[in-house]
Amino acid sequence: MISAPRSRVGGGGLSGLLLVALPVLLLLWLVLWPVLQAFVGTLYFPGKGFSAASYVYFFSDAYSLRNLWLTLWVTALTSILRVAAAMPIALYLRFRTGSIAALVQSLALFPLFVPSVLVAYAFIRVLGPNGIVDTLLVAVHLPKLPSPYLQPAGPIIGLVWEGLPLTLLLLLSGLGRVSTASVEAARDLGAGGVTIFTRIILPRIQSSIIVALAFNVLGLFSAFTLPYLLGPASPEMMGPYMQRTFSDNADPLNATTQAVITFAFCAAFGLIYVRAIAKGRKGLR
Amino acid sequence: MTDIARLPPAGALSDLRTRVRRREPVDWTGIAFLTGLAIVILLPLIVTAVWAFAEVWRFPAIVPQRMGLGYWQETLTRNDVWQALWLSLSITTTVTVISAAICFPAAYAFARLDFPGRNVLFLAFLSVQAFPKFGLIVATATIFLTLHLVGTFWGVVLIQLVGTLLYMIWIPVSAFQGVDRRLEEAARDVGAGPMRVFWSITLPQALPTLAAALLITFVSTFYETDAAWLIGLPNVRTMPMVMISFINNALEVQYGAVLFVFLWVPSFVLMLAARRVMGADAFAKGLGG
Repeated sequence: MISAPRSRVGGGGLSGLLLVALPVLLLLWLVLWPVLQAFVGTLYFPGKGFSAASYVYFFSDAYSLRNLWLTLWVTALTSILRVAAAMPIALYLRFRTGSIAALVQSLALFPLFVPSVLVAYAFIRVLGPNGIVDTLLVAVHLPKLPSPYLQPAGPIIGLVWEGLPLTLLLLLSGLGRVSTASVEAARDLGAGGVTIFTRIILPRIQSSIIVALAFNVLGLFSAFTLPYLLGPASPEMMGPYMQRTFSDNADPLNATTQAVITFAFCAAFGLIYVRAIAKGRKGLR
Repeated sequence: MTDIARLPPAGALSDLRTRVRRREPVDWTGIAFLTGLAIVILLPLIVTAVWAFAEVWRFPAIVPQRMGLGYWQETLTRNDVWQALWLSLSITTTVTVISAAICFPAAYAFARLDFPGRNVLFLAFLSVQAFPKFGLIVATATIFLTLHLVGTFWGVVLIQLVGTLLYMIWIPVSAFQGVDRRLEEAARDVGAGPMRVFWSITLPQALPTLAAALLITFVSTFYETDAAWLIGLPNVRTMPMVMISFINNALEVQYGAVLFVFLWVPSFVLMLAARRVMGADAFAKGLGG
């Protein structure tokens, strides 16, 4: 939230509203209206009245349910893996300074700069059939590993890679609230690393972990590019499924139904995430 | 470091601590993280970059059998590549210009003017983040269908424009709020009008952050894939779509690798500059964090 301006500039009221009008209208037209329209348009049909047939179809269709189930467990597993991968790095960065720590941070944030298409491309060159991992294994006379490419593991690895930086930043901002003094006091009293982590650090960063998980769930539940390029064709995650239903099957009603179902599954996480950002913003100035 | 300064000064404990710290100058944990991250993060990118210069690289050789620029010529003379590049650049420029034209004045209003509903409207831009992105794109696509915007230039521009609203407003708001008010008041005191103050004092101070926001918008719109795919195809084929067709059609590996080096490396350098201006935290927020 932003504080009230300290002094009024110009005309205030009307000119302020006019200046923000265009982006606000765009938001209403292309975010809030589509969401509303998706809910209403999949339930109410002019001339025919209410019908939940497309939802009944989704939840009775074995293929749709398999896609939903795949999406649920890939989302859960990837969110947890992202936090698990980012946590040790975050802890290290919180309690260390110096040139090596700075390098570790730049490397860990590096995926922020790599667009998903390129991640997919690079991933296939490394973990795909006859990729560099296979090459190195053969070079040391080890058998090739089964490639995760076009398996559920494919998008999971790609998505963890892609999501590491933002998860790390969210955890780091939480760790900023843990004072070095309290950790050192516990250490002086003989507490080991695990005790310090579970008893001192974890309780203070709980909310950051929840926000990180919520943020990850929102991004992962309808992830499209990486699951499409790296994942299996059947069953498929909700992102590719919606795309195929909309474009290939030219079936906007069922695609929108699937979209509303993803909204419903993510509603709680959306609320947690947005509330956390809004609250953080309040602290600014 | 500040916490250490708060410890009792000149105590035996802190002396001991400094000595202990001096005796372990090698940060082995850091080196372990560095090695692990270098392999996981950099190796895929380096391998792809090497592919761009490999003319022959047959399994199971560890290094390419023949290096050269042959595939550069072959890739960069492809018609689909140039068409997509010009299309992507014009869509991206259009989105960035419109976004700046409508968002920067709005950001100034949010930062400086008092009007009814100011906080609510400001926070409303967060609502984009509350929905799973691709679901929102599908919902919008359904509306675009009735407006005949699917598969058109302006359809892609509009949907990508919405994606830029949040950070093109939130980042500049911080920039305008960060401007030193005393300078503005001093200028006002010596007789400068409001417009003069804005052009000579406010804008120059906010400019680096505004430029960084523009750059982030440009680069992330250029590589935007999800919306361009659903709304744009089959008529509007942007650069990421061409790269995806290279992946799907299993054409020569090098085509995509050449584009990777040709397009991504320049944008990477620019993004590093933007990050320097804004700091990692604000930067991450800009990217949807």
